[in-house]
Amino acid sequence: MIAVEGLSKQFSVRERRSVFSLRANTRMVNAVDQVSFTAHDGEVTGLLGPNGAGKTTTLRMLSTLLTPDAGKALIDGADLIRERGTIRRTLGVLGDAKGLYWRLSARENIEYFGKLQGLPSKLVAQRTNTLISELGLSELADRPTQGYSQGERMKVAIARALIHDPQTVLLDEPTNGLDIMSTRSMRELIRGLKAQGKCVLFSSHIMQEVAALCDRIVIIASGRVVFSGTPQEVLETTGLTSLEDAFVKLIGTDEGLFA
Amino acid sequence: MSRFSLPRTLLVATKEFADLLRDRKSVFWALFAVAISGPLVIGILYFVTKSVTERIEKTVAPIVNPQFAPDFVRFLERRGIKIDADPTDYEARVKRGDLDAVIVIDMNFAENLAQGRPAKITLITESSRDRSAPIASRLAREIRGYSEQIGNERMILRGVSPSVARPVQIDELDLSTAEQRGARLLQIMSFYALFAGLMGAIAAALDVTAGERERQTLEPLLTTPVSTLELAIGKWLAVSGVNLLAVTMSLVGFWITLSFVPLGKLGIPFNFGWREFSGFMAVLIPFAFMVPAVLLVFGSTGKTAKEAQSSLSMGVSLVGLLPLMSFLRQSKAPWWDAWVPVNGQYAVLSKVLRAESIPALDWAAMLAVPVVVCAAAIVVFSKRLGDEKLLAGR
Repeated sequence: MIAVEGLSKQFSVRERRSVFSLRANTRMVNAVDQVSFTAHDGEVTGLLGPNGAGKTTTLRMLSTLLTPDAGKALIDGADLIRERGTIRRTLGVLGDAKGLYWRLSARENIEYFGKLQGLPSKLVAQRTNTLISELGLSELADRPTQGYSQGERMKVAIARALIHDPQTVLLDEPTNGLDIMSTRSMRELIRGLKAQGKCVLFSSHIMQEVAALCDRIVIIASGRVVFSGTPQEVLETTGLTSLEDAFVKLIGTDEGLFA
Repeated sequence: MSRFSLPRTLLVATKEFADLLRDRKSVFWALFAVAISGPLVIGILYFVTKSVTERIEKTVAPIVNPQFAPDFVRFLERRGIKIDADPTDYEARVKRGDLDAVIVIDMNFAENLAQGRPAKITLITESSRDRSAPIASRLAREIRGYSEQIGNERMILRGVSPSVARPVQIDELDLSTAEQRGARLLQIMSFYALFAGLMGAIAAALDVTAGERERQTLEPLLTTPVSTLELAIGKWLAVSGVNLLAVTMSLVGFWITLSFVPLGKLGIPFNFGWREFSGFMAVLIPFAFMVPAVLLVFGSTGKTAKEAQSSLSMGVSLVGLLPLMSFLRQSKAPWWDAWVPVNGQYAVLSKVLRAESIPALDWAAMLAVPVVVCAAAIVVFSKRLGDEKLLAGR
């Protein structure tokens, strides 16, 4: 379970008027501003928002990559700031950066992360085999990942994040750039995690996708939570019949989608 | 944050090392360049020295008007110098470099010599051409020898001891032993051994720093329990491993070359046996660990792979420029010479080759400087790996 309360993060942005100007103005930007929500075990929670809304920053704070400026978050009772070690062991993260080691095979990539999680080698090998066959990677598992398609790479990245059987799973735009078949298998995987009683938090900017998967939606715009509830509640609150229209209405502008 | 774990550090090191060696092409070219460059230089030096020695032995003296000084010509012939009588257009040919030097006998040479007046011989040379210098100086030496011989005979005829004309006797005691002269020629070896310890690390350091940026693999790593210090040490060990391979290859290359090239025949009693090999290793092993640590700090600077790459080239030039201190210095090396990184290594390697005794303090520097540099660099490197700005500012 993830409980987030008043999480905030500011970034400094340097601005220069022209290429030749020596002085740059530093300005603080609220990337994430007082974000609060709860994500429960056995549920899929969708973090929905236009590009640049603060989804990735929120997920990066939850995955201990960034330290929040203010606010607190508990993941299965462990404090995000004080118990980083515990959190990293219980968390499976498919972050914004999903890079693999090109010269290593899928199996080596996945096993490396399993061993970094401190699992015994026997268990790592066993879990790697299970994940490889579940994700349909068996045929290319021992080839260098350099030649993989984008969908295959995404599968390896997901397997890497799940190698230690984490209770809480964070997924940052897991279907970005995938074709229809890969998107469908990714959705199935997320449903499978839910069926196992995991807490899944995933971010997306695509309303349909969130609607198809999520038990609960948290909509963020410009770093703030503008709505939190079930898909049904989204429609009820806005009085609209289409989720997409409701999303546009909630984030306050239809520009956001293209920004 | 979880506590430092040695097994996890070694796990990172093993993975990075295996990953680096998979990059067959980069590894091959780096090791190939390192293994071939030293032996190549020695080979070239060998042939240059050999040809100079041969040319001095087979000196031919072009003489204009030899008929005016038949005694002198016979003197030269006795000294094993062939005579090339009356070369045409000799001034232009000396200028062009076809002739190294030309002896011109004055028309009145015989007459002046007979009457006890200074008899003139002109030696035409082109002193700006290094190639001709050994021949020209040999001819000058022979002319002086001839002059001295006649002078001595004249004084003896007059009942004067020749030593009267030599109030001061110059006795040159050259302190460079034969062994040292050989080592001077091969000091380039020290340079190339250090070169190996730099070359071997560049590609690898680039891969584990800028390469990690490019592949976007740092962020996933940092969500696992591995700490940035463990990552930093693991990466450093892996790059140092590759670098040690390079250093070893270069030394083995030298060893093999020197056992084939008969430097002894040229009067260079150069020795690269167990003593030199282990001396080199004692200096180069700590060095092979120090260079990657520094390069990793440079490679981890900057937000993008490209910035990291240009920053790393800055580090490479810095390491490469330090031995110039020794090259260009005119005065005696100060006591802290051995304590300047890279420059110190160069100085001690040269001493090993010159078969000089090396003070314990120098050995201490060879160990202490790398240890301190590595420790400082690894701390900075690990801080950089966890720097939020580099993650968020992408």
